[in-house]
Amino acid sequence: MDFILEYYFDLSLMADEFDRVLDGFWITVKLSVISGVLALVWGLVLAVLRQLPGKPLAPVRGLAIAYIDAFRGIPLLLVLFLVSGALSAFQAQDVIPREIGLPTFFGQTSPFWYGVLALTLTYGAYMAEVYRAGIEAVPGGQMEAARSLGMGHGKAMRFVVVPQAVRKVIPPLLNDFIALMKDTSLVSVLGAIEVVQAGRDVQSEFFNGSALVLGALFFLIVTIPLARIVDRLIARQQGRVERGGPAAPTAGGPAPAAG
Amino acid sequence: MADATSQAPAEPSNEVMLKLESLHKRFGDVHVLRGVDLEVHRGKVVCVLGPSGSGKSTLLRCINLLEPPDEGRIFLEGEEITGSAPRELDIVRRRIGMVFQQFNLFPNKSAIENVSLAQQRVLGREGDEARKKSHGLLERVGLADKVDEYPERLSGGQQQRVAIARALAMDPHVMLFDEVTSALDPELIKEVLDAMRELAEEGMTMVVVTHEMGFAREVADHVMFMDEGVVVEEGPPAEVLEHCREERTRRFLGLVLER
Repeated sequence: MDFILEYYFDLSLMADEFDRVLDGFWITVKLSVISGVLALVWGLVLAVLRQLPGKPLAPVRGLAIAYIDAFRGIPLLLVLFLVSGALSAFQAQDVIPREIGLPTFFGQTSPFWYGVLALTLTYGAYMAEVYRAGIEAVPGGQMEAARSLGMGHGKAMRFVVVPQAVRKVIPPLLNDFIALMKDTSLVSVLGAIEVVQAGRDVQSEFFNGSALVLGALFFLIVTIPLARIVDRLIARQQGRVERGGPAAPTAGGPAPAAG
Repeated sequence: MADATSQAPAEPSNEVMLKLESLHKRFGDVHVLRGVDLEVHRGKVVCVLGPSGSGKSTLLRCINLLEPPDEGRIFLEGEEITGSAPRELDIVRRRIGMVFQQFNLFPNKSAIENVSLAQQRVLGREGDEARKKSHGLLERVGLADKVDEYPERLSGGQQQRVAIARALAMDPHVMLFDEVTSALDPELIKEVLDAMRELAEEGMTMVVVTHEMGFAREVADHVMFMDEGVVVEEGPPAEVLEHCREERTRRFLGLVLER
């Protein structure tokens, strides 16, 4: 029994290795925030491309859909290997410049940036689907009203539809961010010393898992408050609906054959 | 085409503002419009009556090409607008204001922001100029004290008057009204009809799809009765409403007036 306690909760080991684990967590946070922001933007771009109107743009829509399907359907770990392998191989062949093939921007390691790229590619696809749900939840009458005022599709999306859509999907986007943050641990396979790798290093040195438990606590310090924020946002949105909401029904879309 | 928007309407009053030639529209197998012709002279009010499913709303939505007709031509102030390129259409639509059954106000914007948005984003008016114009229009529809309210805090009648102000903000040459009182509680209908009546008295060219027989009788210059996608009967309101020749019109009017 004591052995179990000591294996997971060796406080003196936690104290000794605290800085090492914290350094790792700092990498985790940077990976999460940079990839998260990029995925938010990339996801919105994909969602908007997917909603472009008209026949001539069908190939663009098709490409966006194919991309989203592909990256939602393959493991992040595989994308990580594809990205890191390809970039380092291409730069070795002089196909791409060294700064791109072995990126070290802002003093971060190449595995870090491979991780950012893979996380953005994958989570951009997830977030695109979230945005799409939001865009589709905006009543069709909004787009029609905007078009009837002389806005083109682009302006109508930018000034009318997307702002309403984004508001609706902040909670699920935050959920995706929590998932992304946890998945940053996979970047350790490329050699990034983020919090999980730091914990493992300690574990293999001392045959003790306490540093991993410490890493888990760091995660929870961030993810639990985020989850509470999500809950609160959802509660607030539902409260607004229950209070009656706008007099215009949500099914404000057109009924073309009527009237 | 852009030039026409700025031209002052100085033509004689019998000028044909809007002309539809044998419009056809199908939704899949449903032939919603089966050859509709219409001429609207400047400053005149045309009321379109008919049972639901008769194609009235589709007709209106075809006029500003929210629904492109399958056959037939539409002329606005003498120039054909059917077959315009999308960008030209965005410009044409500035001259055609539209008010919807479900209001379709932007729920995330206050009344004055609703009225100002397209002025700024489409016409490129400065913020102050747009707000001044919006303020004047909201005052005109009796909502001077509601400029900063959000749609969810406004009654249906108030929302619909904001929607009228929003359409007027683009200085349209023609206004389309699509059953604008059908979603309103009975006691709120009058305030919207009064705003429309005033607009008609000021000389706005209007096409009004409505079930309000009193409004049609008093305000319309021309009444058109539609059923199953064709114009069954048309003429001055006294003629069509009091002395209709067609059995179908009589039956419909009987049903409506019985209520």
